Amino acid sequence: MPSTNIIIIGAGVMGQGLAEAVATSGEEVTLVDKTTKLAEKGVKGIGEAIDREIHKWGLTKSDKKAIMARIYPSSDLSQAEDASIIIECIPEYLETKRTLFEKLDSICDEKATLITNSGTLSISEIAAATERPQKVIGMHFLTPVTKVPLVEIVKGLKTDQHTFDKAVEFADLLNKQWITVNEYPGFVTTRCIVPLINEAMHVLMEGVASADDIDKAMKLGFGFNVGPLSLADMMGLDVVMSWMENLLSELSEHKYNPCPLLRKMVRAGRLGVKTGRGFFRYDEEGNRLPDTPLNHVVEGA
Amino acid sequence: MKILVINAGSSSVKYQLIDTETEKVMAKGMVSRIGMSEAVLTHKPHDGREVKVTGEILDHTIAIEYIVTVLMSENHGVIKDASEIDAVGHRVVHGGEQFAHSVLITPDLMTELRSLIELAPLHNPHNIRGIMACQKNLPNAPQVAVFDTAFHHEMPPHAYIYGIPYVLYKRYGIRRYGFHGMSHLYVTERGAQLLGKTSEELRMISCHLGNGASITAVDHGVSIDTSMGFTPLEGLLMGTRSGDLDPAIILHLMAREELTLHEANTLLNKHSGLAGISGVSSDMREIEQGAREKTGNAALALNVFCYRLKKYIAAYAAAMGGLDTVVFTAGVGENSPIVRAKTCEKLEFLGIHIDDEKNRTAKGDAIISTEDSPVKVLVIPTNEELVIARDTQRIVSEQK
Repeated sequence: MPSTNIIIIGAGVMGQGLAEAVATSGEEVTLVDKTTKLAEKGVKGIGEAIDREIHKWGLTKSDKKAIMARIYPSSDLSQAEDASIIIECIPEYLETKRTLFEKLDSICDEKATLITNSGTLSISEIAAATERPQKVIGMHFLTPVTKVPLVEIVKGLKTDQHTFDKAVEFADLLNKQWITVNEYPGFVTTRCIVPLINEAMHVLMEGVASADDIDKAMKLGFGFNVGPLSLADMMGLDVVMSWMENLLSELSEHKYNPCPLLRKMVRAGRLGVKTGRGFFRYDEEGNRLPDTPLNHVVEGA
Repeated sequence: MKILVINAGSSSVKYQLIDTETEKVMAKGMVSRIGMSEAVLTHKPHDGREVKVTGEILDHTIAIEYIVTVLMSENHGVIKDASEIDAVGHRVVHGGEQFAHSVLITPDLMTELRSLIELAPLHNPHNIRGIMACQKNLPNAPQVAVFDTAFHHEMPPHAYIYGIPYVLYKRYGIRRYGFHGMSHLYVTERGAQLLGKTSEELRMISCHLGNGASITAVDHGVSIDTSMGFTPLEGLLMGTRSGDLDPAIILHLMAREELTLHEANTLLNKHSGLAGISGVSSDMREIEQGAREKTGNAALALNVFCYRLKKYIAAYAAAMGGLDTVVFTAGVGENSPIVRAKTCEKLEFLGIHIDDEKNRTAKGDAIISTEDSPVKVLVIPTNEELVIARDTQRIVSEQK
């Protein structure tokens, strides 16, 4: 297997999307996870995502062949030794991320740029696990990575200009528009969207309007592609709640208190698309099923 | 003069080394899979066997380095030193409204070429990469850009203006440009020569039918109309491109299937045409086979292809007020008697009479119309590289 210039660690949904975006740009990429099986599962997931895109006319079979040929699955973190860009996409737990960055610090070339894809955690805290915090930077991509044209480039306290320039170069490679964010809880996207979603849940809970009508109002009234409740279902209600709690504990403002309906649904395991039921119902492929009245959801919870 | 002709794509570079005195190809080949760890260089000297070299060719600069090296190699080479390459001619897809002719490449010109990227985002960036790669590898050889659009530069406004607000033409350069210019130029000149005339004496229609396809009305040597427009998507049905369609369909489909711009673009450019209708293939040979064996909608795809081509021929005859010659060229045009026969069917009223036997057995430059056919129908293998080499030689000689 050839050593590639770009390495992605974590073959979950985010890692898969990023690997696909990198390979689509024409660069080769290694997708690393704990076991070869997990990494290969990630690559398989990319193949399935591309198949869906072919079905939607976005790509062709020969595109798929070319993209897949540029992605190498691996379980060997030492592959990062020769890479100049290393992107971490593992789950949002500070300690796990810190441990990984400590390891990367001992493996990677001193010139390498270390990128974390965290959406809420402190870049500076992650960077502090290394001897080279100036080389660590955050790049918060949004899912689906291949479709959302935005990335937040998040500077930690010690991130230097050269590292920032490298991140911009990487964003350009992937054809993403970028914004600069100075590290602060929730950055821009999460900080702004989460309270909106939370407020939509309050509106629903207080019986002001149905889930469908709330989404309809925000879509048609303000030009959102997706309504806030559908968006919450797509993100995962547990994830939304953890973001709220994170913002609440960091910023101690009442407005970040998770809506009681959100807590209730998370406790009941109604987490959205991934469990087939959130504010709406979904089939196994994540397609929305015919409307379910709000009352069923809440009473069932 | 020895001219290296370069056609640089996104992940490939095609090349020919042409001696302009004899107009013979000294060697030709292609680098494919650029950017992948196992890129391939296929090289064929005029008198030798084809060779393949595999290597890590990460970008266009390294690709050109490989090409120059193999051209000089002891076993497969045709020159001893890189200095024997007198000049480099590049195919550049889009010359916009600025370029009516081929031009010598200078730093100022590079800036102008970059400004044209917006008009041809899929092609011009790679063409520019090829130019820069040659500047690095052959710093002493003058370089010339030859444009796909230049031949159509004299097209009159009534042929190139679309029926949308004129201000959009002024603002964004939205007009018909036309492509395949080098091919249309070559086959009409060569065709006229074959008839013992010059193209200035004839009203000609040239049908370039490759994976991309376009048809041009060449009135006394001047392209007065052509089927490809603002982009190479318009006009004839192609391998995977739709060609002409009601523009409202795109808007309708984007809404119905919730398509993004990118998806709609790919739908029209890569999932349509022969492949999209037939469900069989984008390759005319497989379409013809499919039509015989009644596979998928292959027969329908073949009919749509020929019917649309027929309409264009009649329309362009009207545009020129008559017709003397029709030329078929490129992959399908040169190799498919079925397409040629089906297209010319019912065009007898224009004076087009095909000789079935000549059509079936045509090879190389050939006349396939009957002796007494008022309109001569020809098959001419295209040679875009030769057009590039000739232009390059002419421009470089003028500089000296």
